[in-house]
Amino acid sequence: MTVLAIDDVRKTFNNGEVAEDILKGVHLALNAGEVTALVGASGSGKSTLLTIAAGLQQASNGEVIFDGHNMTDMSAEQIRQIRASQFGFIFQFAHLVPFLTVEEQLLLMLDVAETTLSKKAQLQEVDRILVLVGMSHRKQAYPASLSGGEKQRVAIARAIIHRPKVLFADEPTASLDSQRSKEVMQLIHDMTKELQIATLLVTHDEEMLIYADRIIKMTDGLIN
Amino acid sequence: MNLAWKDMKKNKVRFFIVGSIIFLVSFLTFIISGLANGLSQDNAALIKDLPKGYFYMNADADKTYNLSKIDNETQQHILQNEEGAVAFSIQMGFLNDQANKQHSVAFVTATDSEFFAQVKQGEVLLDSSLQDKGIHIGDSLTNNQLEEQLVVKGFVEQKKFSHAPVAYIHQEDYTHMYRVQEMQLVFIPNTDVKEFTGLQAFSQKEFLQTIPSYNAEQLSLNMIIWFLVVISGLLFAIFFYMMNVQKIGLYGILKAIGVKTIKLFKMIWTQMLILSSIALALSIGLSQMFSLLAPNSMPFHLTIPAMLQLAIVFLVIGFVGATISGLQIKKIEPLQAIQRGEA
Ligand SMILES: Nc1ncnc2c1ncn2[C@@H]1O[C@H](COP(=O)(O)OP(=O)(O)OP(=O)(O)O)[C@@H](O)[C@H]1O
Ligand SMILES: [Mg+2]
Repeated sequence: MTVLAIDDVRKTFNNGEVAEDILKGVHLALNAGEVTALVGASGSGKSTLLTIAAGLQQASNGEVIFDGHNMTDMSAEQIRQIRASQFGFIFQFAHLVPFLTVEEQLLLMLDVAETTLSKKAQLQEVDRILVLVGMSHRKQAYPASLSGGEKQRVAIARAIIHRPKVLFADEPTASLDSQRSKEVMQLIHDMTKELQIATLLVTHDEEMLIYADRIIKMTDGLIN
Repeated sequence: MNLAWKDMKKNKVRFFIVGSIIFLVSFLTFIISGLANGLSQDNAALIKDLPKGYFYMNADADKTYNLSKIDNETQQHILQNEEGAVAFSIQMGFLNDQANKQHSVAFVTATDSEFFAQVKQGEVLLDSSLQDKGIHIGDSLTNNQLEEQLVVKGFVEQKKFSHAPVAYIHQEDYTHMYRVQEMQLVFIPNTDVKEFTGLQAFSQKEFLQTIPSYNAEQLSLNMIIWFLVVISGLLFAIFFYMMNVQKIGLYGILKAIGVKTIKLFKMIWTQMLILSSIALALSIGLSQMFSLLAPNSMPFHLTIPAMLQLAIVFLVIGFVGATISGLQIKKIEPLQAIQRGEA
């Protein structure tokens, strides 16, 4: 089932005098329960496509359809609400809130997503997700005391605790060693299946492609 | 979730330092404000204790009460027609006590009025500060412009003019000493300003400005006070600005995952409010203690309303400072933050 559809998306950046076409009419559909890997040379436009799909910047042309709604027509506040409640994000760095414990990071996300869960149910949900990512034993830890891999696990937990429909992961393993990278990718893969998320994964690491259901190559602003 | 409080708990030292600076600045402001007010009281309690009303002196006295002479006819006319009106005169001078020691005083004489103490001819009523200097009720004091002696009839609390204790004397004695029949000033309480030919009206504030030294004193002290208030506002702005610069990446990510900008503003406001409330409460408490412990001779006078007023100004300024520094949060693009390094 298609959750997010990218339709003829174009992006032009004006670098001073010259206008550069970075995306030149991209079509892509993300399906529930599927990891779609986006690969391609540096500068080919992967991150640009991901951020447009996630409503973090606007396309110059074309449409992004989420759950049947055209995001191109939405207000900034409507898009924020979708990002908060329907999307999850993982980046190269975990970007956790330094003054919140692992548990609080996740409660914050539930708060931002405006879940209707009771306080007690929220705490149970946090426990459940921490078991899934294997971080229950560090519930009260602050980010500064976590290793890179542990931080990324918490970031994954934060990205999925509110049960988003789409998960955007831009090079989530780039700052991890190969063993940790595999663990993190296995986790993203498992979560995608378990929660039936449509996952868009950008990666440079060919070893990680075994965790993808579909591999899309991007060359010079186009998907072939 | 209370992000503001969690942040403060985790970064105690940082917030403690800023809180201490705010506390010191506001404490200093309160003390100086107490001194300014105390000095003002010391300089002009005689005038400041009068009810709201207007002062009148000769239009050609060049705003100098000393040069003003209100002619008898005008004075009679005003006293008869205006309720509560009183004519009075003030002259700086000296009284010698029985040990022939000279004391500087402000001689005050007035027509019949509830606002000015009344004495009989040959008597004097003194500000209580002279009691501390060894003058007692019943003492006979002399003045070199007066043949008869003045007998101390009693003391009044806190009546000062131009930093000198007030000495209330009878109009006859005053006339003998200064060889003038006319009074210098007329005061009419509780009314709007009135027009009298040949007279110029002054509000209490305007009249205080005509006292030599009053203006200079208050101006410099008030300037210090407002500088301190502005400095504390800037402190807030700079502090939160630096905190925000450090957190640009974090704020960008939070915005990317859908946190509302207003939530981030609320966080800053709450922190500012917590910091300044604690700092202000401490300095209010300490300056009250200071006012109890300060020696009597030190002119220190800090009223609760004056302090609350300053505290509110501090809060408003802190709010403005924090908000200005918060404006950069509004500008943060989630996108830039994502591509940046470790947070
Ligand atoms: N805001 C911008 N303004 C101007 N040019 C931009 C902007 N964002 C991206 N670009 C340009 O668009 C091109 C594609 O950038 P993008 O980040 O999408 O590449 P990428 O495929 O993610 O590369 P990498 O694998 O290195 O992350 C680059 O040449 C980049 O310089
Ligand atoms: Mg990229």
